[in-house]
Amino acid sequence: MGKTFLRIFTFAAAVGILAGGLKLINWVPLAAQKNLLRNYTDIQMVKSELGIREVVVPSYFPQSLSWPPSAILAQKNPYPAVVMEFWQMGTRDTVLVISQALSDDFRADDKIRITQLKERVNHPLKGRDSVLEVGFCGKGETCSRVSWKEGTLRIDVMAKSSPVEMLKVAESMLN
Amino acid sequence: MDFSHLLETLPGRYVTQAFIHSMVAAAIVEIAMKNWKVGSPSLRQKFLLAVIVLPIFSFPAYQSANPARGSVYFRMGALFDSARWLGLEIYGVVPVVAGLILIFSLTALVFFFQELFPIVRHAFAARKSDFGGATVRAGDDPAIVSAIAKLPGEKPRVLVLEDEDCIIFSTTGKKAAVYVSSGLIEFLSEDQLRAALAHEFAHVARSRRPVLVTVFLLRALMFFNPIALLVFRRSVQEDEKICDELAVSATGEPRVLAETLRKLYLDPEVQDDGGRGQGPNAVGKMEDYSHRLNIESRISRLENEGAESSDGGIFGLALALLAIVAVNYFVV
Repeated sequence: MGKTFLRIFTFAAAVGILAGGLKLINWVPLAAQKNLLRNYTDIQMVKSELGIREVVVPSYFPQSLSWPPSAILAQKNPYPAVVMEFWQMGTRDTVLVISQALSDDFRADDKIRITQLKERVNHPLKGRDSVLEVGFCGKGETCSRVSWKEGTLRIDVMAKSSPVEMLKVAESMLN
Repeated sequence: MDFSHLLETLPGRYVTQAFIHSMVAAAIVEIAMKNWKVGSPSLRQKFLLAVIVLPIFSFPAYQSANPARGSVYFRMGALFDSARWLGLEIYGVVPVVAGLILIFSLTALVFFFQELFPIVRHAFAARKSDFGGATVRAGDDPAIVSAIAKLPGEKPRVLVLEDEDCIIFSTTGKKAAVYVSSGLIEFLSEDQLRAALAHEFAHVARSRRPVLVTVFLLRALMFFNPIALLVFRRSVQEDEKICDELAVSATGEPRVLAETLRKLYLDPEVQDDGGRGQGPNAVGKMEDYSHRLNIESRISRLENEGAESSDGGIFGLALALLAIVAVNYFVV
């Protein structure tokens, strides 16, 4: 019995070391190259450090939100992408996420994910063809999302709110 | 050409993650086999097949369980995010992703030319009974009849190739048969011939198992994966040991099979007569060296029968599978 436990323990320890090794290997590219996906404190830093000139930002925010974003993720490689996350004032609850990337495969819908889709329609957004989705997130909250292409850039705006407020934010990003 | 987007697509992510999941699985399997001192070839083969089979399904299974697994937030917290390495550029010029695509392409070529093409060619040759011009006749030699008379169970056809070299192999499928050269019949004693035939009969019997056929088809899906290529070759070596065990259970004489292997594959005279030992290039020499190591390992097992232990190996396999599934979930 003791031998069995010892074997389980050594196996678990070895797998733990392997996991630690993976984490370490995962850190190496970040140390070697600045332009991979990482956290930033403000958009100016994203522009200056990554050389991303065009970051589309909203000019309208609902009352409970304000500029600057609560968290920013950005990368230059393998393609430019920026994610701006906004928390509800006074909490750490993410209520608005704006993502823009030069690839349709880039996804930042982890924090605001529509798990129960109620409606998906094509919606004209200041002359652009956009797709509007409305439904419920994991905890039953109303969530909405609008996606469109701005040239080669794919933009997604996701919010834990009705589409009305979210569309106002999205429209304020466009001329 | 923009390589980065190639592996960022859904098929690209599947290919990349299957490769990395195989690497992680291979490491965990190696740890488990050493930890539980797994010596039984059939159990070792099960461990190795886990490295090939699990990564085929892992990506779609994980994505179905958690569609958000591909999102940037999940990636930021993952144990390993392949996109970070794929985004790297060595000296700001050579993208790592190009190197990975090159590895996948070379592996696919090796798979097609060294594994798939020989099987197809072998199948056609067996169907047409075309063995490089050698005459094939029924195996009704007294030596063969006497050798197989004592072997239990169902026996496939035995055919004789008129060739003075020592050759023995089996074909599978509906018309499965074991081919023995006339040179080999003269070279081996009756007991040794029985041992060699019993080993080939075991191959034919195992090839009829649907599980193994399925595993080979699944392995073919991983044609691009260098880890699957290496591990499958190790698994084939374990298969030789399993067939040795089956042959010994049929003949009851492990030492005779060991002698036969030594005589056929390690005897310098046989090797000089057109055997394998003539690889002129480095790759050929490496293959010969690996082949020799495998033969020596098989002989050693047969001569020290019962020396290996693998207590708790099945439990080890179960824990290894759990660990692979758990760790790979956080490898994106």
